[in-house]
Order: sequence, then structure tokens, then C-alpha cells
Amino acid sequence: MQAGEKLVVVGCSGAGGPMAMMAKKLMPEIDITVFRKEEHFIVR
Amino acid sequence: MVAGLATEQSIVIPDKMLSDAAIAVHHQEVSTIDPESKQVKTSAGQSYSYDKLFLAMGSSPFIPPIEGRDLEGVVTLRDLVDATAIKKRLASGGKQIVFIGAGFISMEIAALLAEQGGDATRITVVELMDRVLPLMLDGDMAEGVQRYLADEKINFITGDKVEKIIGQNGKVKGVLLASGRKIEADLVFLNIGVRPNLELARDIGLEMGDYGIKVNGYQETSAPDILAGGDCVQKYSFITGKPTAGQLRGPAVVQGRLAAKRLAGFDISFPGVLDAGGCKMLDMTVTATGLTETRAREEGFETVSAIVDSRSKHGMIAGMAPWRLKLVFDKNNHRLLGGQIVSRDIAPAREIDAVSAFIFGKKTIAELTTFTSACNPDISSEPSAEPITIAAEQALQKATKS
Repeated sequence: MQAGEKLVVVGCSGAGGPMAMMAKKLMPEIDITVFRKEEHFIVR
Repeated sequence: MVAGLATEQSIVIPDKMLSDAAIAVHHQEVSTIDPESKQVKTSAGQSYSYDKLFLAMGSSPFIPPIEGRDLEGVVTLRDLVDATAIKKRLASGGKQIVFIGAGFISMEIAALLAEQGGDATRITVVELMDRVLPLMLDGDMAEGVQRYLADEKINFITGDKVEKIIGQNGKVKGVLLASGRKIEADLVFLNIGVRPNLELARDIGLEMGDYGIKVNGYQETSAPDILAGGDCVQKYSFITGKPTAGQLRGPAVVQGRLAAKRLAGFDISFPGVLDAGGCKMLDMTVTATGLTETRAREEGFETVSAIVDSRSKHGMIAGMAPWRLKLVFDKNNHRLLGGQIVSRDIAPAREIDAVSAFIFGKKTIAELTTFTSACNPDISSEPSAEPITIAAEQALQKATKS
């Protein structure tokens, strides 16, 4: 992705959160938006 | 959280972690995706454009079409709402608890509640298959787990099925089994797997497999600029190459990071899953990876296996705890297929990661006979009792005898 491009992530548990964090680390100039339906999320 | 070990505010990925990294977080549900205009629309009616989209909708508990599933006191455990409801129910006197399914979530929660509930709590686990943790363990490894938990006053009924959840005035009163047996209950805990959340993906016509969204090794879906990962996508077994659900947190995290690497230009492909997982029940820890011997045979492998008892420390060191390892090999090409560990100490259970690495490395019985582990009297068994090496030696003898 190029600087200024937009990444949208739907979901923020096992895959979504790590994806967003890694994307920001590797591509700090892109614009990332995460949609999380849940206020909190647990696995058990 | 159900057992009071974490608070309601506990969360795996807090918003602050994301916002501190300059990532925008919206607590909204995405209701539609328009791949043509490359926009998502939320349930609040707002639209957001994207250049790349990553789908990670996860999964939801599978609730079978069983009579009585809607009664008050029938619960699943997936999110905070479930956990809060269970805690409230237990606080209000739910003391006869039936778990349907002996998977790892059931077993962990049952063990925690048995520990906290005291003599007034009666816990029964009903499992359709003939053993506890049937996806992780073979019968010869599961029997010790079941015996240990039975000593902790957890009742087990295996090889039977819940036909109906019985209620009165809208509240659960018990379960009726296929064998005709009835068990009283004021809380019934359903834990028989999850199903991927696929509505959004289906709405835009993404190609599907039997277990979820189809993706390639780079997490790319059938639609341009849309990637996906985690519980909502179909995985492939590293060992058999066949499609599988693989709905565990480990592969979800790795697939998420892998998708980010792909977008950053890296050429790294997901190797497939081993379904490696762990389960802690009181002071017993179970870990497993790859195929059980039961599953391997179902997949058509001719197997050879070995079980070895070992020690968490050298025999003369105080605090030594026993642990047991099982390795399963393909009898024809001698490759490692799977491993199982049952341990009375946490540390040895992590040796399962070495087993996973050996499977990914396609190691054979002979190669494992020369494995040397990092040994120290206080942190491991004696080198002569290293169970991976011994299991391989036993398997070598069995495989070459016949």
C-alpha cells in the first residue's frame, strides 16, 4: 500500500487487531480504520 | 472472567493500544460492503471508503437445534455478555451445572467452577464421544485427565447425547440424555463449537469453502483488494492439505499479521494449521498439536505411536511433577503427525511447540531419536528421560518390527 491509502479492518479480535497493528508498523503512512462491534471481547 | 480471574474491563486488544498507534477505532457494526465503489457502510448509516479491506468477523457459538435451547439458564461463552450472564446466574444460586461438550472451554470453566463452588456445586460434563477433550487427546491420554477431574468432583458422562433440555416456567431444570438418563440442572453450558460469521462475505459474493471464506496463502479472497483472516476463513491442514476450520486464536493472529505483510509487499505464505492448543484445569495442563492417532487413522494414515512418562525436574529435585507425552507417526514414511502432552506442571506442556516445529519441519522418527533438549536439574527431566527422544526410540522399534 502507498502512503495516504486507506485500509479498513472489519472486526478486532484474533485477526483484526493484530492485522491493524502490524499494518501500521510496516506502513506508518497509510490511514487505518478498525470497526469493532463489541465494546469488550473475551475468549473465556 | 467467569471465575473472577479477570475483570469485565479486561480486553485482549484495548482501544488505547490502537489509538496510540494512530489507528481509528469505531464501535460500530459494518452492515454492508460495496466492492464496486470500495466503501463500507455501518449500522449507524455512515460510509467509509477503502483501498484495501480486511475481513475478520470471527465466529459465533454453534447452538444446535435442540429442544429447550432458549430456556433461561442455557448459556454459551463467547463474549462479555455471556460471561456476565453466567456470573450473575451462578451468584443467584446456579449450583447444578451441566456442560454439553467436553471441549477445552468446557473443561477449563468446569474445573474453575469446581474449585470455587465447593461441595454445594454439582458439575456434570456430557460428551458425545468416548472421552474428554476428544479433538486434542486419544483415549489413552484422556483417561488420566478424566480421572484427575473426577477426583475433583466433576462428573463425566461420555458416549451419550443430550436429547432435550428440560424446563419449567421458562427456566432450565435439567437435561434428558439419549440413554434416557435425566440430570437436574439450573445452568446448562453449551460448548460444541463455533461457526464462522459469514453474512457480510456472502452478501458480496465472496467464494466460500465448507469452513468459511476461501483465501489463498496470502489471505487474499476471491475479490480484488479484499483480504480476510481468522475464524471466518477456511484453513488447510498442514498435514493432510485438506480444508479445515482451524478456529483457534493462534492462526487468527498470524493470519492477521500475514495479511498486513502482504499489503506491505512481503511474499510470505501461510503454511496451514496444526490445530495446536492448550487447556489448563486446576494444576493439570494439556497441550496438543497435529493429528491425534484416532484422527490420523480416520484420515487414512497407518500409524505408529509411543507414550512416555517424564518429569518436570530431575528426579532428586523437590517439586518434581510428572508429565506424559504421546507422539504419533506415519508408519509408512515415518514422519511425525502429532503430539499430546498431559502435565501436572505448566512448563513441560510447552514442549508441544517443539513437536509443532518438528511437524512443520517434516521430521521423521529417526531424526527425532537424535534430538537433544536444553536440560537443567531444576527445569527439565534428565537428558536420559527426555520424552521426545524416548518416544521416537520406542516408535522406531515398533515401526521396524512389523
